[in-house]
Amino acid sequence: MSTTLNPRPAEAVAQTRRRHSRRTVYVMMRLTGVLLAVLVTGHLLVTHVVTDVAGTDAGFIAKRWGSALWVTWDSLMLAAALGHACAGVWAALDDYVRGAKLRRRSRVALVALTFALFVFGAYVIARAVYS
Amino acid sequence: MTLAQSIFLVALSAVVVVILGFTVLVVNSARSSDGGGYISTLLVRRMIRSPRERAEVNRWAFYLHRITGFMVFGFLALHIVDVSLFSFSKSVYDNVHTLYGTPVLRVFECGLVFAVLFHTLNGLRLLVVDLADLSITASTKALGIVAVLTAALGTAGCGFILAPVFS
Repeated sequence: MSTTLNPRPAEAVAQTRRRHSRRTVYVMMRLTGVLLAVLVTGHLLVTHVVTDVAGTDAGFIAKRWGSALWVTWDSLMLAAALGHACAGVWAALDDYVRGAKLRRRSRVALVALTFALFVFGAYVIARAVYS
Repeated sequence: MTLAQSIFLVALSAVVVVILGFTVLVVNSARSSDGGGYISTLLVRRMIRSPRERAEVNRWAFYLHRITGFMVFGFLALHIVDVSLFSFSKSVYDNVHTLYGTPVLRVFECGLVFAVLFHTLNGLRLLVVDLADLSITASTKALGIVAVLTAALGTAGCGFILAPVFS
């Protein structure tokens, strides 16, 4: 049995690593948050105010993804939003999912879902740009 | 209605059900594990009286932040898939996309705008609370500003989104 009072070096290393990864997640959550505050607000302004939502048809997307600015904008938004959402739901799972096994499985499902959405979204943008 | 439109509407309904389920989960566990009260007029009166029940107001802001975040994520998952139709068939994309201009979807979009605004502004508030080391009084005041800005900008946004319905 291990004691927390006098942890073995391996445990101490693991503890430090966990603390550092929590700090990384905290910082990334804020960085992506500020980034998304700009990207998502801009996205909503363009698709609902500057252009009415009924006007955002295939021609609108084709024109937008013809510009490097918007391809970069949408790609960044995709990555930042999914990373931010994954970390957010991860924290919610910690609060609501009881049991180590179920928690591990739900984390795997969450990461798989967000990763799949990212790969799919990136593929869609790339396919549209290089066609 | 085409098959693609039907699939989209079924998927959207599923997303809404999941969001509502998550909301129930958050509010229920607020009651069972965090000691939160039932959502009632009493709770609202307690939170807006002066001096405010600051801890309680801030705790409900946390729940709302979590729920709105989940709501936006749920829609994002669907939105990535519906925009992806553009890469596969422009006509199917346009067909599904016409739904976005319908009154029902516009009302949904208004809800989404309020959710995004609250989540954004409250998130920026949390950043300021940490960076400027705001007191509980100051951070509760900042929450008031977040509420006013969300209501004002959200109403303005809804005006733009709903205007074509009434014209």
